[in-house]
Order: sequence, then C-alpha cells, then structure tokens
Amino acid sequence: MVQINLPQNSKVQKGKYYKDKTGSKSLRKVNIYRWDPSTGENPRIDTYEVDMDNCPSKVLDLLNKIKNEIDPSLAYRRSCSHGVCGSCAMNMDGKNGLACTKPHDEIKGDINIYPLPHLKVLKDLIGDLSTLYKQYESIEPWLKNTSNKNEKENLQTKEDRSKLDGLYECIMCACCSTSCPSYWWNGEKYLGPAVLLQAYRWIIDSRDEDREDRLKKVADELKLYRCHTIMNCTNACPKGLNPAKAIAELKKMLVTR
Amino acid sequence: MKNSNPLSPHIQIYNWHISSLVSISHRITGIINIFGITFVCFWVVYLLSGASSYEAINIFFNSFFGKFIILGLTWSFSFQMLSEIRHLLMDYGYGFDLKVANITGSIVILGSIALTCLIYIFGRSLI
Repeated sequence: MVQINLPQNSKVQKGKYYKDKTGSKSLRKVNIYRWDPSTGENPRIDTYEVDMDNCPSKVLDLLNKIKNEIDPSLAYRRSCSHGVCGSCAMNMDGKNGLACTKPHDEIKGDINIYPLPHLKVLKDLIGDLSTLYKQYESIEPWLKNTSNKNEKENLQTKEDRSKLDGLYECIMCACCSTSCPSYWWNGEKYLGPAVLLQAYRWIIDSRDEDREDRLKKVADELKLYRCHTIMNCTNACPKGLNPAKAIAELKKMLVTR
Repeated sequence: MKNSNPLSPHIQIYNWHISSLVSISHRITGIINIFGITFVCFWVVYLLSGASSYEAINIFFNSFFGKFIILGLTWSFSFQMLSEIRHLLMDYGYGFDLKVANITGSIVILGSIALTCLIYIFGRSLI
C-alpha cells in the first residue's frame, strides 16, 4: 500500500550538534541519520562540523573521519572502499549510491546522509536487507544445465557472452531496489530492480537450460509488472547499469516468446 | 523485536528527477482524465437539451473558473497523450538510456505545455 508518512516510531527528531574542535576554517556540516536500538528512542539527525582541509575526497572518507575523530558510536557498513563490494550503499544528498565512490564535493550545501530508503533500520546507517536476499534466492541465481556432461568449460559464443554485459557487473548493493517507489510500497511481493536484473541475467544466459521455467516464475502481476518505468533504479545505480531496461526486456520476452 | 525497528525515510528524502516526475504525473493525469471524459460526456448530453442549457454552459466556460478547468483538462490530455507515446516506445525497449529518458521526459513536459497553448489558440480562432 502507498504510505507517504513514516510510522510514529520512525519519525525523525533533531539530534545532537557536534561543534568543530580543530579550529579549521573550511568546515562543512554533515547531517547523519542515527538510531540506537538500545535506547528505544526515535531516530534522530546528528549534525557534525567536519574539518574539510584534512579529509580525503569521498563520502566514505568523511564518515571514517567522523567515526575516528569525532563520534566512535556511528555505525555503517563498509568493506572494500573501491566500489566493488557494495557494502557502503546509502542515501546521500537525496540519492542512493556507494559512499566510497561518491565525491563529497559533488554535494552542494550541507551533506545529508541517510540509510537506504524504506528499510527496517538495524542501527544508524545500517538497513535490514534480508527480504531482498530472500527474493534473490527465490530466482535461483545459479546456472542450471543438466545436458552438458563435459568435463571441460561450458563454451559460449562471443555474441552470447556480450548479452551478459551490463548485467554481470551488478554487485547487489541494493541502491536500485531501495530507490524504487514501487518497491517501497510493494516490497514484499514485487521483486524490485536488483533481483529482476539478476533474473534477466540468468534468463538471457545461453548456457542456461531453465529459461522457460524462469520466465514463467517471474511472469506475475506483482513480481514483475509493478515496474512502472519510474527509472529511479537506473538513475541510482553506482555501477552505471540499467535495471529498468533489463525489466523492459523481460516484459518484451514474455510477449514475444 | 525486529518489527519495532524504525523504517528509514523514503519519499520524504528522495530526490525527484525528470523521469520520476513524468511517471507520477502520468498516473495523476490519468485519473484526472477519467473524470475529464465523464465531464465532457455530461456536457454533450446537456447540449442536446436545448438552447437555454447551452447558454448556461457557455457562461460557465467563459468564467475564470471555467477557463481554468478547460485549460487544465487540455493540459492533462496533452500530457497523457505525449507521455503515453513515451511509454509505448519504452515498451518496445527504446529510450532507457538515462540521457535519452531525460530528453524524452523534458519533451513530454514542455510539449504538453506547448500543445495546450496551440489547442487553446486554435480553439479560440474557431469561435
């Protein structure tokens, strides 16, 4: 159901203000969504004044600086810091992306950082993605091929291989799915752009023999057709992929097969 | 325990861009058009019932509010039509490139305003 307002326990309050202690001249205000599961209080927005003279270029560097130098209680996921693992996906300046690849000087004014939208928050910037992972499991994201008993590699023509370009690069960071209003309102039933892109990745693979079954499984009013080509997903993808196009191809396959 | 966790902000904080604006407007104008078509049907039926009722409609449509409704409906129909063409192309698999989607989206927004003006001017010249 479309629900515009946040539930009562999710209303965001004004939080603490951390004043700069370094005496730096080039300060920026960073507003960060905080929620501590141990207190039972509502989420709040804490504001940090950060010395930008001694801060590397990406938003993740900014968060690390805050955690190391100002407030060690800040919680967020991060791992590779090179845009490969997808751990540090969050909402920065009103748009989803990876904190490790987003330069903070692209953001004008105060820097606003929130967790990925419309998720149950576990702590601060960490959202609960277990529904998405379950949906990912439901499309059986592995190669199904029973007829090929070769001990050697399962070969593919260059042309067939090129069909996977723009799909295999997906790192499942969930930036696209959590940017999608359809996924916000129907997240339990609609598979969402990330999972549908993955579904398409296996359906289009020439080595896979389960295409018909996969298509049948995904052809559902709610699972697939809740995509209304809003294109927030493509707009958000930090890897420059196009989930909206993948979904359109799925729909096309279903009517032309 | 788990369900008592707060929900992270969504539509309150997410940035709008051309594609999402066109998409939501497409849905809103769609609903308006359903009422619009019903309204036009009633108008036609009303015209059949003679000169006096025609006069009443004429006065209403020449009032400020009447003009606002006519222009609003014209825009809503124009927008829906152009946006529908955009969606049709998307159903064929075209126009998903971000740049192209932004351009076609802008064309829909600007085109609907231009079309409204054209229809208005053309309609005025007929009277």
